[in-house]
Amino acid sequence: MSVPPKPESPLNRRQFLRDGARVAAMTGLGAIFGLAATRSAKDQSYVWQIDPARCVYCGNCATACVLKPSAVKCVQSYPICGYCDLCTGYFVPEPNALNTGAENQVCPTAAIERRFIEDPYYEYNINEDLCIGCARCVEGCTRFGNGSFYLQVRHDRCLNCNECSIARVCAGDAFRRVPASQPYIIKLTAHE
Amino acid sequence: MKPPSHRTTLNRREFLRAGGGLGLAGLVASANPAARAAAPGRASPSAYDVSRFETTDPRLIGYVELRRFKAPRPDARRLAVGPEGRLWIAAGHYVVAAGETGAVWVEIAFNNPVRCVAVAPDGVVYAGLRDHVEVLDAAGKRTAVWESPRNRAWLTGLLATADTVFAADSGNRVIWRHDRAGQVLGRLGEKDKDRDIPGFVLPSPHLDVELHPDGLLRVNNTGRHLVEAYTFDGDREFFWGKPGMGIEAFCGCCNPIALAVLPDGRIVTAEKGLPRVKVYGAQGNLECVVAGVESFPENLRATRGESRNDTLNLSLDIAADSQGRIYILDPVSAEIRVMAPKPAA
Repeated sequence: MSVPPKPESPLNRRQFLRDGARVAAMTGLGAIFGLAATRSAKDQSYVWQIDPARCVYCGNCATACVLKPSAVKCVQSYPICGYCDLCTGYFVPEPNALNTGAENQVCPTAAIERRFIEDPYYEYNINEDLCIGCARCVEGCTRFGNGSFYLQVRHDRCLNCNECSIARVCAGDAFRRVPASQPYIIKLTAHE
Repeated sequence: MKPPSHRTTLNRREFLRAGGGLGLAGLVASANPAARAAAPGRASPSAYDVSRFETTDPRLIGYVELRRFKAPRPDARRLAVGPEGRLWIAAGHYVVAAGETGAVWVEIAFNNPVRCVAVAPDGVVYAGLRDHVEVLDAAGKRTAVWESPRNRAWLTGLLATADTVFAADSGNRVIWRHDRAGQVLGRLGEKDKDRDIPGFVLPSPHLDVELHPDGLLRVNNTGRHLVEAYTFDGDREFFWGKPGMGIEAFCGCCNPIALAVLPDGRIVTAEKGLPRVKVYGAQGNLECVVAGVESFPENLRATRGESRNDTLNLSLDIAADSQGRIYILDPVSAEIRVMAPKPAA
């Protein structure tokens, strides 16, 4: 009488142990890689910055920053600037004259310096020690001119708060975290 | 005897309902960026305020809108009226010819964005790309390409007459005068002390050239806020215009950005910053407003930074036909409006 062949077990003890060891090894490796990746991400720090394409020059940067004056400053993009005599970022909408009189300047702290280049061109430079980030010049320049004035968080001043108090009230949702290795968003294109 | 109860002016249910409504309104307002910007206490402590220039005295409005239609292609930049009254539109990588109701007649594709267009009296089409002109016969077949004579070309305007083609090159701050074969015959508008020509000042790429019935060209010198009249040989005969935010002047740093000439010789101007279209007499006296700032609400919102807009080009363009109608292209709303003089009362 022949013995019927023993049905093959779907998983014997040796295979079970081998598979178990493999799973444990893979889990361990995954944990090691995951930890490494997390640590590496922690090394990559981020800072706050303003996206000029989203800025609506609401003026909150001047008042909402924990620093006084604000860490947000106007910056000038010289390749975009038209070097206008009647600069709408420098002059109030209806100036009495195109000169450096305080009553003609749009900047409340006279932080924009106007320098004659050649007729009829003038260069405009920002004195960041005076700039309070109110964005009046940004609105004038962006609305009527080429938009060469725009706001940026200056990282020699910014405290990089975990929850930026300006970002909380930014009317254009223009604040975002950018890698500290590339902390500025450079404006390259003018409005036409 | 129980005294009659005094009815309160607001019961508890009404109070809760009103409070809920106010809360909902506040939530909506806080979610809207424009409303957040305008909320009391959040506005700039020293706002750049030109709001008083954003309304137009109704007595100055001299035109009514006949109709409007969508631009046939996205990124429309410039308009021209052809010899048969068709509207030619430079839009994206296309030149499109349309009827006065917007029905597309023909579309011609290009490899690069078309920045301006003109049609000669014999139907030959001239398309200005950034640094060259492409010539197409009346059937739309390319017959020639004219490279710019100088580097840094940025063509923004074209004018084609029976025997001459003028190309406005804002990159080089000059108007090139070509014969119909593309040969350069001369340059207009360059700084020249001996001829008392101060030169173009163009902070942004908006240089336009139009032919006036008096035989002189009209060119916008935006940085000087002037409309200048030149002979074909480049002599500056006269000029007019002044800077200012008021309706009679040209606003901002650099306006007017576009010109059109009506059959009776009056000049139509378009401005940016305060988007508005006006008609001036031949000597520069303001005659009327075609469309004031309030006529372009979407453009105004984009100009103020209150709306997201993918296009960098916010500038209006204008053209006039032989019947005195004015076409206005608004690239923000991507619409073309047809304006006609207001009927006499």
